[in-house]
Amino acid sequence: MIDRLTAALARSRADYTEIRVERTWSTAVTFRGRRLEAATASEDQGGCARALHAGGGWGVASFTSLGRLEAMVTRAAELSRAVPVDPPIRLADVPPHQADALLDLDGDVRGVPIAEKKRLLEAYNGAMLGVSDRIVDTLAVYRDEVSEYWYVNSEGTILHELRPEVTLSGTAVARRNGTIEKGLESIGLRRGWHSVQDKAAGFREVAERAVQLLDAPRVKGGTYPVILDPELAGVFIHEAFGHLSEADFVYENPQARKMMTLGRRFGKPVLNVGDNGAAPGLRGTLPFDDEGTPTRDTPLIKEGILVGRLHSRETAAAMGERPSGNARAISFRHPPIVRMTNTYIAGARGGGSLEDLIGDVKLGVYACGAFGGQTMLENFSFTAAYGRMIRDGRVAELVKDVVLAGNLFQTLDRIDHIAADFRWNQMGGGCGKAGQYPLPVTEGAPHVRIEEALVGGELAA
Amino acid sequence: MIAQLVELARRRADGGADAVWRRLERTTVAFEWGRLKSAGTTEEAGANLRVRHRGRVGVAGTTAVEGNDVGAQHAGPLLDRALASAELGEELDLAFPVPAPIPPLTTFFDRAAQASLDELIGIGRSLLARLERQGCRVNVAIDRETTATRVANSAGAGGEYRGTGFGVSADVWRIAGDDVLVVSDALEGADLPSDEALTALVASITARLDHALRVVAPPQGSLPVVFTPAGLSALMLPVTQALSGKAVLQGISPLGAKVGEQVFDPQFSLTDDPLRVGRTASRPLDDECVPSRALCLVERGVVQRFIYDLETAARAKAESTGNGQRGIFGKPVPAYTNIVLGDVGAQHAAPLPLGGGLLAGITDGLLVDELIGVGQGNVTGGAFSHPVALAYRIERGEITGRVKDAAVAGNAYELWKRVGSFGNDARWTGSRWAPSVLFEGVSVARR
Repeated sequence: MIDRLTAALARSRADYTEIRVERTWSTAVTFRGRRLEAATASEDQGGCARALHAGGGWGVASFTSLGRLEAMVTRAAELSRAVPVDPPIRLADVPPHQADALLDLDGDVRGVPIAEKKRLLEAYNGAMLGVSDRIVDTLAVYRDEVSEYWYVNSEGTILHELRPEVTLSGTAVARRNGTIEKGLESIGLRRGWHSVQDKAAGFREVAERAVQLLDAPRVKGGTYPVILDPELAGVFIHEAFGHLSEADFVYENPQARKMMTLGRRFGKPVLNVGDNGAAPGLRGTLPFDDEGTPTRDTPLIKEGILVGRLHSRETAAAMGERPSGNARAISFRHPPIVRMTNTYIAGARGGGSLEDLIGDVKLGVYACGAFGGQTMLENFSFTAAYGRMIRDGRVAELVKDVVLAGNLFQTLDRIDHIAADFRWNQMGGGCGKAGQYPLPVTEGAPHVRIEEALVGGELAA
Repeated sequence: MIAQLVELARRRADGGADAVWRRLERTTVAFEWGRLKSAGTTEEAGANLRVRHRGRVGVAGTTAVEGNDVGAQHAGPLLDRALASAELGEELDLAFPVPAPIPPLTTFFDRAAQASLDELIGIGRSLLARLERQGCRVNVAIDRETTATRVANSAGAGGEYRGTGFGVSADVWRIAGDDVLVVSDALEGADLPSDEALTALVASITARLDHALRVVAPPQGSLPVVFTPAGLSALMLPVTQALSGKAVLQGISPLGAKVGEQVFDPQFSLTDDPLRVGRTASRPLDDECVPSRALCLVERGVVQRFIYDLETAARAKAESTGNGQRGIFGKPVPAYTNIVLGDVGAQHAAPLPLGGGLLAGITDGLLVDELIGVGQGNVTGGAFSHPVALAYRIERGEITGRVKDAAVAGNAYELWKRVGSFGNDARWTGSRWAPSVLFEGVSVARR
C-alpha cells in the first residue's frame, strides 16, 4: 500500500499533496429491552487526497473505491487550482516522520466471535434489566473496530498505524405511570476485548439511579454554589471552553482573535486547562494527527491566564504559533480540521477532595454525570445525569432535571476551588464539529466548584 | 447488479433477502471567514444486504464495491456476514413486500446535476457580497450531490432512481467584546436554487441581524411567545419522536394509545410527505421496496397513525408505512422524509417579515429563533427548558431588540393543545415545512 501511495504522490503536480487510506473492520451489537436488535459486522474502506497549489485553496477528494486513488489525487490537485486564495495558504513546518505504530490491540476484537460479543452485552444489559421491574426499557450497544491507517505526504512523512477502539453504552429507562427517568453508562477505550470485561457494576448502578430518580424531586431553579463531579467538569471544559481554543475559530476573525488574546485572564489562579493528544492509553490519543504532526500536551490556561490554543499546520502558520497536532478527521470521508484530543482541567495540588469543596457550602448543588451539553459560543447549557443537594456542608437528597446554563466567561471566572482528585473519563460517544461526528476524545477533571451558577429545572417564572 | 446480489442471497437464505445499493457524488465549495478556501469532491458507493434465514434476520454492509456493481468477489463475503448476523438474530416474521405500483416522481434535476464548480463558486461569491458588512465575518458553504439508488428484494419488488441535492448555507458572525452573535440560514432542495430563493436567504439573515444589534433586557413571566419555523424544533421533536412506531413499540411514546383521540389543538396537523417535488428527502419508494405515499399523522389535532419500517411493523403487527431508511451499514430504521406542519402552500418567493404577522397583538413577549440544548435530556416526555441562543423581545407589537440571558420552558404536549395562531411565513427548514407559531403563556425566565 505504501508503495502505491508514494507512487501516486510522485505523480501529483500540486505543490503539496497528502493521501490517507483507511480500512476498518467493525462489529456492532445492540440490545433493546430483552431483544437483540442487531448484530452486524462491517467492512469500510476508502481514502482522502488533499492538495495545495501555490495561490490555491485546499482541493479535497474522498472516495470509497481504491481503484480510483490515482484519479482522485489528480482531482484534488485540479480542485486546488480552481479556487484561487489570497493571501495564499501556508503550512507551518513539521519535520517529516516515518513510523509504523501498531497500537496494543489488547485482545484483538477481530479474533472474537460475534456471538461472544453478544453474550457479553447481554450480561450487561441483563444487569440493567434485573435492577427492578420499573426498568421498562433498555438500550445497550457494543461496538468495536480495528482500523488500518496509512498516511503519506509530499514532504516525506510516511505513517502506518493499526488503531483499535471499543465502546460500550447502556441506557436504562425507568417508568412509573407518566414519569420517565433514565440512566446512562458509557465506556470508550482505544483498546480491545480484554478491556471491556467485568463492567456489569456500572450498568447496574445507572439503572438503580434511574429508578431512584422516579422519586426524586426536580431541583428548584435558581443560583447556587455548584460542584461539578469529574465527569461533568470534563464535559464542561470540552464544550464550553475547548471549542473556543480551536484556532480555526480565531485565526482569520479579528474580533474572535481579540476575544481570545493570549495573556487574557480567563479564571482564578487555581484554573489550569490543557489538551493532551499524547497522554498514554486514552481514546483521544494517537501518535500523530491526520496531517502527520506528532501529538503533544498543549497548555491552554495556566494559572487562570490563556496561554495556548489548538492548531493545524495551516492555523499555526497563519498565527505564527507552533502546530500542536490537533488536525483530525473522523474518517477518510472528511479532511482534517482543528479538533480536541484529551482535554482536561488539571487537579489542584493540595486541593483535597469533594468534602473539602463542600465544607463551607450552606446550600448548593452537586451536579453529576452528563446527559448532554451544548455550547453556543459564550453561552452553554448542560444537562447533568442527576444531582444532589448540598446542605450545611454535606451531600443531601437526590434531585433531578439539573440543567446548568450560563455564560462561559463569567462561569470560568467563578471557578474558585478545584480538588486534587483528577481522573480521566473514558466514555464512548464523541465530539461533533462541522459535520464530523463522532470523533473519539477523552475529557478529564477533578471535582470543581463554581461559586455561583444558574441551575434551571423548574423555572421560577 | 443489486438483483443478482439478492438472487445469490435467496439461494442461501430460506426466508428471502433485500438489498440497497447507493452511489453518491458530492461537490463542495467553502468560503471561510469571507474568503474562498476549499473545494472538495466525494465519491462513495456501497451496498447493504438483509437476509432472513431459519426465521432470523441479519444484515451486513460494505463499501468494498467496484463501479456500479457488487462484484462476485465482494458479494460472497457480504452474504456470509449477513448470514452470520442472522444466526444471532431473534426470530421475526418479516415478509418482503411484493411488487406494487410506484408513483412517478421527479427527483433528478439536470440544472443541479450539471452546475459547474465555477457556478457553485459564483453563488457563494454573490452571497458573500450581499452579506458582508462592517464588523462581521461571513462563512458560506455550497454543496451539490447526485445520487443513484437501487433497491430490490427476493419477492420481486424493486426500483431505482437518481436524485440531486443542492445546499446553500451562510452564517454571519459578529463579535463585539465578549458578545458573540451568529445569524445563519440555509437552503436545501433538489434543484439549483432560484435567484428569488437566494435573495430570500439574504433577507432572512439580514433582518435577523439588524434586529439583533440592539440588546435589550429580557421579559419575565408567563408570556406570549412566537417560535419561528427554525425555533420550533424544541416543540416538534417530542411529537415526531412519539409518532415513531419504534417508540410506540417500546412503550415510551406518550401518544402510543391515542390513535383517534383529539390530543392537540384543531389547528395542528402533521404529514410526512415523501412525494414533494424538489425536496432532497423525497423518493418514489423507500429503502425496503415499499412505494412512497403521503401519510397524515395528525389531522386537526387527532392522532391518525405512526410511521413504520418493515421490521417495526412486523413486531407491532402493523403495515409498513414506507418509512424504511437504511444506510450502507446497519439495519433499516423508521425515519421521516418531509415533515409538514399545517397545510403545504407554495414557498413564498418574497421575503416575509420576521414573526409571520403574529406580533401585532403582543404587548410584551418573546420571539424565539434558536434555543440551546434542544434534544438533550428527556425529550419524549415533552418537557423542555432551554436558554435562548437567538431571541428577540416583542413590545407593543414590534421587535425592540435581541434578548440574551433568558430561558424558555414548558411542555410541548401542553403547548400544542392550545396554539395561539399560525403565522403566514411557512417555509422549509431542512426537511420540515412550518410557519411561525404563537403560544400564549409560555414560561420565560431571566438569569
